[in-house]
Amino acid sequence: MKILLKSATIVDPSGKHHLKQRDILIEKGIIIKIAATIPNDKKIKEVVLKDLHISQGWFDPSVSFGEPGYEERETIDTGLQTAALSGFAHVAVNANTQPITDSKSNIKYLRSKAEGHAVNLYPIGALTVESKGIDLAELYDMQNEGAVSFYDHKKPISNANLLKIALQYTQSFDGLVQSFPFETSVARNGMVNEEINSTRLGLKGIPALSEELQLVRDLHLLAYTGGKLHVPTISTKKSVALVKEAKKKGLNVTCSVALSNLILTDDLLETFDTNYKVLPPLRTKEDSKALLKGLKEGTIDGVTSDHNPIDVEHKKIEFDHAYFGSIGLESCFGGLHKEMNVEAAVSALTNLKSVFKIPSERIEEGNKATLTLFNPNVKWTFTKDDIMSTSANSAFLGETLKGKAYGIFSNDQLILNS
Amino acid sequence: MKELSVNHLLGIKYVTEDDIQLIFETADHFKEVINRPIKKVPSLRDITIANLFFENSTRTRLSFELAEKRLSADVINFSAASSSVKKGETLIDTVNNILSMKVDMVVMRHPNPGAGVFLSKHVNASIVNAGDGAHEHPTQALLDAYSIREKLGDVAGKKVVIVGDILHSRVALSNIFALQKLGASVKVCGPKTLIPKYIESLNVSFEPNLRKALEWCDVANMLRVQNERMDISFFPSTREYTQQFGVNKKLLDSLNKEIVLMHPGPINRGVEITSDVADSKQAIILDQVQNGVAVRMAVLYLLASKIQHNED
Repeated sequence: MKILLKSATIVDPSGKHHLKQRDILIEKGIIIKIAATIPNDKKIKEVVLKDLHISQGWFDPSVSFGEPGYEERETIDTGLQTAALSGFAHVAVNANTQPITDSKSNIKYLRSKAEGHAVNLYPIGALTVESKGIDLAELYDMQNEGAVSFYDHKKPISNANLLKIALQYTQSFDGLVQSFPFETSVARNGMVNEEINSTRLGLKGIPALSEELQLVRDLHLLAYTGGKLHVPTISTKKSVALVKEAKKKGLNVTCSVALSNLILTDDLLETFDTNYKVLPPLRTKEDSKALLKGLKEGTIDGVTSDHNPIDVEHKKIEFDHAYFGSIGLESCFGGLHKEMNVEAAVSALTNLKSVFKIPSERIEEGNKATLTLFNPNVKWTFTKDDIMSTSANSAFLGETLKGKAYGIFSNDQLILNS
Repeated sequence: MKELSVNHLLGIKYVTEDDIQLIFETADHFKEVINRPIKKVPSLRDITIANLFFENSTRTRLSFELAEKRLSADVINFSAASSSVKKGETLIDTVNNILSMKVDMVVMRHPNPGAGVFLSKHVNASIVNAGDGAHEHPTQALLDAYSIREKLGDVAGKKVVIVGDILHSRVALSNIFALQKLGASVKVCGPKTLIPKYIESLNVSFEPNLRKALEWCDVANMLRVQNERMDISFFPSTREYTQQFGVNKKLLDSLNKEIVLMHPGPINRGVEITSDVADSKQAIILDQVQNGVAVRMAVLYLLASKIQHNED
C-alpha cells in the first residue's frame, strides 16, 4: 500500500518533526518521506482530514475482549476493530477469558486470532493457574510465545509469598508481573467507593484502605525481591503518594490509571446506574484530582481505557448483581484530552509501551509507520451512537469529550472511521 | 388540590418537606377513618396494587395490604420464595409480567439497594419502596416521624437518637433524612463496627455511649440487630451487645427526663430493650404500628391520585 497523509501535524514529543505540519509518504508500511509538501503526481491515495494530527500508535495496557468464552460481550475481531477506530494500534488483552489464558497454547490462540489485523494484540498471561492465586502458571513458556505480562485480572495475589516468588522467578527472563491492589478481606463484598455517596445510597463500600493496604504490602515485597512490578489501575490519592515514594526510593515500579477513575467520580452513583459500577470503584473528586496530578508529574506511567465489555443481561439488573466494568476504548482519548494538553495525552497513551516492551518507533523517514490519526480539537458528546463495541456498558455516556481518533495506520493497513 | 412532587416513593431523599407534611395531613384523615366502625373508604376502588416482596416481611406487608384494602384497592401479593425468580427470571421481566395484567401500582421490598429506583426507570407503574437493601424504607421513616409528631406535637427542634445497627439499616437512613427534613437533630449510637464510617457527612453525630445518648435525646429509636444481614461477626456476643447498647428499666428510670422510646419491630426482647421497657408507657411501639396503616394509606392515596391526574 502506498499512501500520502496530507498536512498532518506530527505529535512526537521526542522526535525532530514534533508539532510540525507535514505531508507523509508511506509505502509498504514504511515512512518514505516527510516534507512540508510532497507533490502527488503519481496519483497516490491521499488522506486529507480536517485538523489531522498523527502520533505514534497508541497503546492500551488493559483491554478485555471476551474471546474465547464470552463472545457475546466482544470478539477479538470486533474488539480490535473498535480499538483501531478509537486510535489504538497496540492492545494488551487480559487473561479473563474462558478458559483463562494461562498456558502457551492459550497465548498462541489469541495471537493467531489477531493475525493479519492492523492492531497489534499482545496477550497478558495469567500469573497463576486459572487465576486461582494458588500455583504459578508457566510464565516463561507463555512469555516465549508472546505474553507481555502476567496478571490475574482484577484479582489480588492474596498469598504474599506467592507474589514474592513470582517477582523473583520472573527476573531471569525479565517478565513483567502485575498485582491488582485490592485487599479482599477489607473490600469484602463492596460495590462502590466507601464515602458519603455509599452512605447515602446504602451501597456496600470498598474503602480506599483496601487498595492502599495491598499496595503497601506489594511495594514491601518488591523492595525485598528486586525485579519489577506493574500496578494496574490505582484509584486513590494515597496510592499516588505511595507509588511516588516507592519510585523515589528507586523501586522498579510502574502503574496505570483507568480513564474512569481519572475523569469520573462517585457522585454519578446517585441514579444507581450500573454503568458506573467499575473496579476499582469511582472515587471522590479529591482522588481524581490527585490521579490527574500524578499522571502529569509522571508518578503514574500511563492511562488505560480498562475496556471491559459486559453484555446487557449482566448490566441491566439490580446494582448488587451487575458485573463490574465499562467499555472505554471509544471515549478514551476524548476523555483524557479534555483534562490535559495533546502532548501529555499522547504521552499517557504511549508511555507504557516501553514497560510492556512493545515496539515503538519515532515518526521519521525509514521507520515503520505505526500511527494514530486524530483530530484533537473536535468537541463532542459521547452517546450510544458512538459505541462501536459489541456491548454498550459505557460509563462515559453523556460525557463531553475533546478530541477524537480518525483511526490508525498500522501493519500496512489504513483503518479509518467512515 | 395539593399533590406530591414525585410520582413514586423511592426514598425520603427524593421528597420535599412539603411532601412529608402533605402525607401527614392526609394520614391524620385516614387515622380517623380507620378508627370508625366502618373502616373502609372507596378512594382507590379502580386501582390495582401489586405487593412484590422479594425479601421476607410480615408487618410491612400486612400493613401495606391492610392500607390498600381500607382504600378499596384490588390487591395481589407476590413473594419471591415461591416464584419464577427462583427459576432465573429477571426483576424487570417479573414486574412487567405482573404489570401486563393491568396493575397500576407496585409496592416492592427487595434485598438490593436501588432496586426501586432501577425499576422506576424501566417499568410503567407507580412504585412504592417498601425497603431496598440498606438503602431506604421511606414509609417506616414517615410513620416514625408521624408518631413523634403525634406524641410530642412537632418534629422540628426535637432530638432523636437512633441506636443499634446503623450499617445494615434502611430504617436508620430513611429516618435520618426524614427527621432532618422536618427540623430534628439526629445522633446515632451503637458499636462502631455497625456505624458507617462516613455517617457524619450526613450531619449526624456519633455517640458511642448509650447513657450519654439517652440523656441528650427526646426520642430514642431502638433498631433491631439484624443478624441475618451480617456475614461476619461485628461484635463478640449478643450478651455483650446488650450490656452496652440495651435499654432496661433501670437505665431509663435513672435519666433525669422521660424520653420516648420507639422500635420498628420485630423486637428482640431482652436484646435492644427489655420487656418492661417495651411494655412501658414511654414506648410508643404499638402506636407506630397503627400509624403505619394510616401513613401508608396516605402515601398510596396521594400517589394514586397522581396516576388518575396524569391520565386525565
